[in-house]
Amino acid sequence: MKNLQITTAIIAMIIAIGFSPEVTGQILTGKQIIEKVYNRPAGDDQTSDLTMTLINKSGAQRVRKIKQFTKDLGDVEKSIMFFLSPADVKNTSFMSWSYDSDQSDDQWIYLPALKKTKRISSHSKNDYFMGSDFTYDDLGDRKLEADTHKLLREETMDGKECYVIESVSKDEDYMYFKTLVWVDKSNFLGVQKEFYDEDEDLLKILTIKEVEKISGIWVIINSEMKNVQKNHKTTIILSNIQINTGFAASKFTERMMMRGM
Amino acid sequence: MEKFLKKLLNQPWIVVGLTVFISALFFMQMKQKSRMETDLDKYMPQNHPAFAYSDQAEEWFGINDGIIVAIENKNGIFNAATLDTLKQLTRRLQKMEEIEKADVTSLYTADNIIGTEDGMDVKAFYKRVPASVESLNELKHNVKNNEMTFGRLVSFDETVTVIIAEIKDDVFTQEFYEEILSLAASYETKDIIIHVAGRPIVEGTMALLGPADMKKMVPIVLLVITLVLFIMLRSVKSTMLTMAVVFFSVLWSFGLMAALNIPIYAVSTMIPVMLIAIGVADGIHLYSHLQLHLRENPDASKKEAITDMLQQMWKPVAMTSVTTAIGFVALLTSQVYPIKYFGIFTAFGVLMAMVFSLALIPAGIMIFGLPKVKKTVKNKSNKESDLAYGLATKVLKRKSVSVFVTAAVIILSIVGMQKLWINSSFLDKFEKESDIVLTDKFINEHFGGTTTLNLILDAKGKKDVFKKPEVLKLTDQMQSKLENDLEVVGNSFSLTDYTKRMNKVMNADKEEFNTIPDKQDMIAQYLLLYEMSGDPENLNKVVDYDYAKLNVTFQLKSDNSQALNSAIAIIETYEEDFDKHGITMNYAGSGYKGLIFTDLILEGQILSLILSLIIVIILLSLMFKNFKIGLIGAIPITITALISFGIMGFLDIPLNTTTALLSSIAIGIGIDYAVHFIEQYRINASKTDNKNLVAQKTMAHSGRAISYNAIVVIAGFMVLLFSVFPPNRELGALVSLNMFTSFVGTVSIMLVLLTMSNVYFKKSEK
Repeated sequence: MKNLQITTAIIAMIIAIGFSPEVTGQILTGKQIIEKVYNRPAGDDQTSDLTMTLINKSGAQRVRKIKQFTKDLGDVEKSIMFFLSPADVKNTSFMSWSYDSDQSDDQWIYLPALKKTKRISSHSKNDYFMGSDFTYDDLGDRKLEADTHKLLREETMDGKECYVIESVSKDEDYMYFKTLVWVDKSNFLGVQKEFYDEDEDLLKILTIKEVEKISGIWVIINSEMKNVQKNHKTTIILSNIQINTGFAASKFTERMMMRGM
Repeated sequence: MEKFLKKLLNQPWIVVGLTVFISALFFMQMKQKSRMETDLDKYMPQNHPAFAYSDQAEEWFGINDGIIVAIENKNGIFNAATLDTLKQLTRRLQKMEEIEKADVTSLYTADNIIGTEDGMDVKAFYKRVPASVESLNELKHNVKNNEMTFGRLVSFDETVTVIIAEIKDDVFTQEFYEEILSLAASYETKDIIIHVAGRPIVEGTMALLGPADMKKMVPIVLLVITLVLFIMLRSVKSTMLTMAVVFFSVLWSFGLMAALNIPIYAVSTMIPVMLIAIGVADGIHLYSHLQLHLRENPDASKKEAITDMLQQMWKPVAMTSVTTAIGFVALLTSQVYPIKYFGIFTAFGVLMAMVFSLALIPAGIMIFGLPKVKKTVKNKSNKESDLAYGLATKVLKRKSVSVFVTAAVIILSIVGMQKLWINSSFLDKFEKESDIVLTDKFINEHFGGTTTLNLILDAKGKKDVFKKPEVLKLTDQMQSKLENDLEVVGNSFSLTDYTKRMNKVMNADKEEFNTIPDKQDMIAQYLLLYEMSGDPENLNKVVDYDYAKLNVTFQLKSDNSQALNSAIAIIETYEEDFDKHGITMNYAGSGYKGLIFTDLILEGQILSLILSLIIVIILLSLMFKNFKIGLIGAIPITITALISFGIMGFLDIPLNTTTALLSSIAIGIGIDYAVHFIEQYRINASKTDNKNLVAQKTMAHSGRAISYNAIVVIAGFMVLLFSVFPPNRELGALVSLNMFTSFVGTVSIMLVLLTMSNVYFKKSEK
């Protein structure tokens, strides 16, 4: 239940942007490309409706609709999520405050059936987010220096000219041995990312299916994460996205969680 | 036929050459393609509704059998050394190629969800091994307060903790087992003892041990049979040729199996057993006839002698073989493929044994010469004849004794059969004092049980039924009922346990909230919270995505059929209540499949037994052109089967896959004895009207051969009594018993009835 700002998170993680297309003739290193991907502006606040669909190997689906608000307050990022459906969990809400410092996140949950707000302990980065195929780590920011980046090749993916970058983790205990990301040369947005597990076997494939420029900022609005080992996948689709509307920071309180949107 | 056989006599080398050549071809096939099937799932009929459902459910919920590694420390497990061992072993197991990392569960991998004053906390029990007294005490406190851990991963007396590693059915090999054993052994110390158990170990060991033991024992069996055969026939040549018949028929059966790409199943190891018991018979009868002929015509040339042998004997040999083969073909009615194969290839082997007996033995005699008839043998033969004559006379004098004893034995057998029970247990097949049984017992004493029974509740696609409080309460009630009422049910586990745990946790860990909440919304929200905090894979093991199917796991302390059936009986009492909610009950898991499988085998076996009995009666009636003879000929078979089952009942030997198949041997052998005896009786009866003389002559001829046959096979199979694998011992004892009762039945009650029926005398009177 960490940075529940999925949108920003996904965008940050994958990818990218870069407003200006690459200067002709300049040869970028793998690290420089990833830096451009990571350092992409994301806006100060964001509101959106999120539809998360979990699909298991036999094709059964679990669909959840959530309304989310996130706001970057400088040294702390706050987010709040309200479940819209399924009906029996409607108005269940989660709030998370995550700090730039080493302080661990603060998180709360409100269960309408219990009519109480409860504080819950923080998760580990390896935990899967809401039973999906995304881990918290997949959704959070990753430091540029945490991996060794290497430009492997350039190739066309989905009709887009891409760089293929391999990022090998420097920390041996990290859940992924390495990742491969295909970066669109024209806008430094990720197109696809492959995750390899500790045994160096392909574990998951993230595919960016749709991006949209909203208020001058690229937002990924449709993505799919597929766990190829478990044959299980999760799609996240955003709608009604609003960026930089400037809603009040006072929205992020326990009282607001109970009151609902 | 006779002419063809006589023609063959002129070309003995071609017969031998062809046999050896084809055998070589089959041998090549065996070398290339023979493989052992150890995956027990492959034995089950996949399209049978119970198996199909179970397989599906196993897929839905990821139901797999687990290897259990138990770490025992008499001084308690809450100390740094034991906890470190637990951590190291868990990680080593997770890294093994055969095991999926996520499928290993222990205190080290488990999540501890606990309630606090203002909320909820999800943590590992420990990651770094706790060193200080305070942190050890905290861990102990956490374990004891979590009902999803205490009694499941750590025993109530705190001296044992387990690691459960689920594996797929087909990964078990001897090497894998040894790797785990040596891994476990490497962590043992003065205080820490490590035990390895679980169904995959039991199944795997059984699938490997049985045939491996057979491999060791069969050569000894053959050696003993050869030796006894030699003592009986008094001729190296005759013994070798008779054994060659057995050897080639076994080789051809397995060769054909390999050529058709059919793997060797555990029951296939019974094929040589059948072929040894049946294959030596033809040879013995042929040589017995030859010896008697030579005794009467000492100057006969080898060609004359063989011609006479073939003339007199080809018919009974062919009749017995064809009838026996058809008896085995009746096994095709079984729904279990390995049994069908067993039937077909045994039938094939029996027919090949017939071909070799009628072609190879004469060819062999043509090439190597007649067996010598020594003077000493003559004396012995006379003694034998006296014995046979005496026996025949006595039997006929005291007809009522035979009838009375037979009736008594049949009644007793039927009484014994009432006690007969079916057992699908694998564990019961091992020695009581074997490591595998002791370890299992140890773990059952400390935990819920090593055997699992999965109950699948199915709302037929109706969504969210298993979020309803009344449904979960009913499920919880059923779980408690089984745990309380049945000693053998140690534990149960389902969505109810997660729901109760979350309710307690969200209410500051107060025990009175360890219940199913009254509102569906509440349940749904708890489960959502669990999904977001714990490992969502855990929930996938107990409920499907739509909350329309539930998997309830019961842990049992025994894998025998009685234990499983007693649990199922209580579960079934809830059928009506669940039905009111539109929920049906089904079962899944290896224990349940084993239960159904055994039932199927027995059902098929009993059916094919009755079917082959009918076929035998019809065939005998046709062959001897008399229905009464058909009935009389079926008597040794019937008696043998009845006594076999009766004695199993009295001795508390349960019916299982091996012992049930043994009834087939009763047919094979019973027919042999009956047909040879009746045919000889018929021939003798056509020469004289003296009933006593006919009986005496038949006894001296067929009776002698039958007794040789019985003695040889009994001696051979007695060897199996020294086997280290209990089912093989039972096999040895029961085959010997069957041989003995068939023999006694043939020369007593059958002879009596044959005489009383007057079938062959009426004819001659006309």
